[in-house]
Amino acid sequence: MSVPFSQMWTVASYVLRQKLAGRRRYPLVLMLEPLFRCNLACAGCGKIQYPPQILKKYLSVEACLKAVDECGAPVVSIPGGEPLMYPEIGQLVDELVKRKKYIYLCTNAILLKERLEQGAFRPSKYLSFSVHMDGLREEHDEAVCRDGVYDRAVDGIKEALRRGFRVTTNTTLFDGASPLRVREFFDEMINLGVEGMMVSPGYSYSKAPDQEHFLRRQKTTDLFSVILSNPKRGWKFNQSPLFLQFLMGKRDYECTPWGNPTFNIFGWQRPCYLLQEGYAESFQDLMENTRWENYGRRSGNEKCRDCMVHCGFEATAVDQTFSSWRGFKDTVVATVTGKL
Amino acid sequence: MTLEGWVPTLGENLTLAQVIDLAFDYRGNVTIARTNGTETVGYVFNRNHDFPEPFIQIFDQAGNGPFKILYTEIANIKFTGKDTAAGKSWAAWVARKEREKAPQATSSGKQTA
Repeated sequence: MSVPFSQMWTVASYVLRQKLAGRRRYPLVLMLEPLFRCNLACAGCGKIQYPPQILKKYLSVEACLKAVDECGAPVVSIPGGEPLMYPEIGQLVDELVKRKKYIYLCTNAILLKERLEQGAFRPSKYLSFSVHMDGLREEHDEAVCRDGVYDRAVDGIKEALRRGFRVTTNTTLFDGASPLRVREFFDEMINLGVEGMMVSPGYSYSKAPDQEHFLRRQKTTDLFSVILSNPKRGWKFNQSPLFLQFLMGKRDYECTPWGNPTFNIFGWQRPCYLLQEGYAESFQDLMENTRWENYGRRSGNEKCRDCMVHCGFEATAVDQTFSSWRGFKDTVVATVTGKL
Repeated sequence: MTLEGWVPTLGENLTLAQVIDLAFDYRGNVTIARTNGTETVGYVFNRNHDFPEPFIQIFDQAGNGPFKILYTEIANIKFTGKDTAAGKSWAAWVARKEREKAPQATSSGKQTA
């Protein structure tokens, strides 16, 4: 696993503090969406289908920081939309670094090289560019519905690495993914020099145009078992090994929908990053007045039935690590040996 | 299927609360006909029927807002704006890729379906 020690320590001490305080529900990663506008229109994405006046809107830096302070999570993920299209992204990142938040700036990297050349960012242990890569050139360009994006993303990754930035990749796998090609893709990313990779099955957004290619649960575990059962020594994943074992069907977890709360121009999204069932005006309102019992697989909610996405289950895996000696031991063993 | 262009007829089989739920789920602008006879065009991003006075929240067509409108102030909602979630972009993409690949496969002597 490739999460730097300082980040692991920050997350571990945060989770232990929550447990010592007796908090049953606590956020782990704030999903901060400053805008919905994007320079791609991927078939698997349900995030950007809005009328023009909504796509033109974006959060102020002040509103973002207020949400960060309200939430208190040690990690802030900035998806969107495409965050490099957010005019104040440099200032936002600077402020988050000052607050010692670990930042995953989730980007398709089309604008990455340009923004780096403009000096929008400075390298920091708190900042990682999390580049969206859904496979090798052919698979990635198909997933994002535009040719040439893979090559531009690779250029962006190289430039970021050259300038001393932390770079990870995030990959969504859909039905029909070839395990062999995915393994080749992992090799390729590690050869590029990325710090680590994140991988997750897709979620069947009701608003995404492509409804036929999302993975169902059994297919998900079958696919990930084949891909990850014999991981290469050089592969590094920037996520909990217990979550990866869950994807392989070795663990049965329930969703933690409050683990990755989402804030955007509409407010605090209920109940999670993927489902959009309303908005709360404050983080406290979200945590206290959402009917959490209606979500997760055991609730019987159809929309949750097949979901195994990281934003719901990685928080469960992390919580598991600190809930028992066994969870802790399993995490340490997988981290040290690289075996899943 | 899209609701674009739909003007609901409220009655026993279709309540205002149901139409509000559909408007909340709709990824386009709608026209809110108010009980006072005025109309507001905008995007419904939230609705809350658990409050003593249920309400919706919208951004208007110019992006101003959010504005809160009580259920009791709404006469009907018309689905007048373009449904931005409707379409077949995946199918269109695949079809285009297939068209692009077809001449290459033919020129290289490969069989095409």
